[in-house]
Amino acid sequence: MRRRDWWVVGSYAVVGLFLLWVLVPIVTVALNSVKSPQDIFSSSPTLSFTPTGDNYGKVLGELSFQTFLVNSTIVALGSTLLSVVVGVPAAYALARLPVRGREWWAWLILFTRMVPAVALVVPMFVIFQRLQLLGTYTALVAAHTTFNLPIVIWMMRSFFEELPRDLEEAAQVDGSGRFGAFLRVALPLTSPGLAATGVLCLLFSWNEFLFALVLSGRETQTTPIGVASFIGTVSVDWGGSSAAAVLAMIPVFVLGLAAQRFLVRGLTFGAVKG
Amino acid sequence: MRNKGLGHWMLAPALLLLLALIIVPLLYSAGLSAYSWNLTDIDLPKQFTGLANYTKLFGDPTVGTAVLNTVIYVVFAVGIELVLGFVVAAALFEMTKGRKLANALILLPMIIAPVITALLWRYLLDPQFGLVAQLTGTSIGWFGEANLALPALIAVDVWQWTPFVILILHAGMLSIGQEQFEAASIDGAGRPTVYRRIVIPAIVPQIMIVLLFRTMDTYRIFDTVFVLTKGGPGLSTETIGLYTYRTGFSYFDMGYAMALSIFILVTVVIISSFYIRLLRRREVLR
Repeated sequence: MRRRDWWVVGSYAVVGLFLLWVLVPIVTVALNSVKSPQDIFSSSPTLSFTPTGDNYGKVLGELSFQTFLVNSTIVALGSTLLSVVVGVPAAYALARLPVRGREWWAWLILFTRMVPAVALVVPMFVIFQRLQLLGTYTALVAAHTTFNLPIVIWMMRSFFEELPRDLEEAAQVDGSGRFGAFLRVALPLTSPGLAATGVLCLLFSWNEFLFALVLSGRETQTTPIGVASFIGTVSVDWGGSSAAAVLAMIPVFVLGLAAQRFLVRGLTFGAVKG
Repeated sequence: MRNKGLGHWMLAPALLLLLALIIVPLLYSAGLSAYSWNLTDIDLPKQFTGLANYTKLFGDPTVGTAVLNTVIYVVFAVGIELVLGFVVAAALFEMTKGRKLANALILLPMIIAPVITALLWRYLLDPQFGLVAQLTGTSIGWFGEANLALPALIAVDVWQWTPFVILILHAGMLSIGQEQFEAASIDGAGRPTVYRRIVIPAIVPQIMIVLLFRTMDTYRIFDTVFVLTKGGPGLSTETIGLYTYRTGFSYFDMGYAMALSIFILVTVVIISSFYIRLLRRREVLR
């Protein structure tokens, strides 16, 4: 073989090995979720076992894991909706409209991305306690908006900036005004970007742990809290917690693959177009 | 111009919300960090102590350990992720078929919740029934041993976040103009030379972005450590985020917890500004 071919062969080997490393932990848990305790706690790992739905039955039955899933959905939708409704007009203003101190505001919003959740959660706990909001969905939606709103603003700003200016100017000549140009021209043209941004917000909220740990109450605990509570107990229920993990992962995989094209942009705050 | 104020009206709600949700709590935190205030003792009122919490912080041996652990964690996790991420990104770049499928599978770890990642690894590294123990015939309690727990946590971070590095560096490689490679192949340059002379210089901005985001996010690591080791055994995996959490919500020493959270904030901002200044000089960020 030529030297060049060896590079290609080596590349496939590297990617193959990396995929193995990525997939083994996920596949292991997926298999555990359909194994009986005897098969999980056997002395040697085996691929020949009779699949069982017992773990899922237990998790969705007596452990009512679906409560966590419903809570996560409520909080994720609430925070995403709030961030999009408030963030998209702000992004457009920063991208297109005359705003005094525009760069300064953009940097202030970037600064908010740097604020670690652990620095916010302590004062938030005290403030929400005073406001008697501890344990409510409102507290969680508010907390998750602290990371989702900056993402919406920076991401949508990068999408708006990519639009050709002539299109909106044409709309203004039609008598739409600048807000009309935003609503009727810019917004529809960036709708794929908007959808991806929304999906990313759902994803980040769905996965968030620390705020949920501190601010949620018995009735409002989200999925990560549910999963963590399975790990924390002394006698760990492997099958049950694996089933719970799979139930928590499925929506994430669907959302993540749907937004795949824009994932990099979202995670880097619009810095890498991907 | 009847639309002169429109921009401000569209921007104002977002700024007010960020003010209420981020700036106000941070100022509140800064203010209360000047008090001695423990929630466990109701009889003891808040007491103004000035900078006492900060003097305590800089003399607190746990803070020293936590910062040291965090720095080790950041340096090793980010370093390994960058090198491994570059190798896999380059391998993807060389591939002629199946790149799309490989991409879709590679990104899976980084969209999984860190708590679930912790669960996956808790089972994978179980000393008795974990796959690693069974395949190697060993029974090492990775998360229970003082000198193995931190490396194990770093491995978990590498698993979850190398995909992020791969996707960004790969995107950078794809944006290099084809003519540069053609010119190199006319010169008869081998692959190593192509990477050294063309690819690496071209993706310096992406490398810096990776460093900025990974450093920022690894520094504040909480979820996986909380689930897997709770900072133990002893203080071997204590991080600054975990210590802040425990001070606030296990010891209810709110004044000190607020001082610690301000400490985290200030250090994160210093580190990020350093990176951002580098990025701006190279005009990667505006």
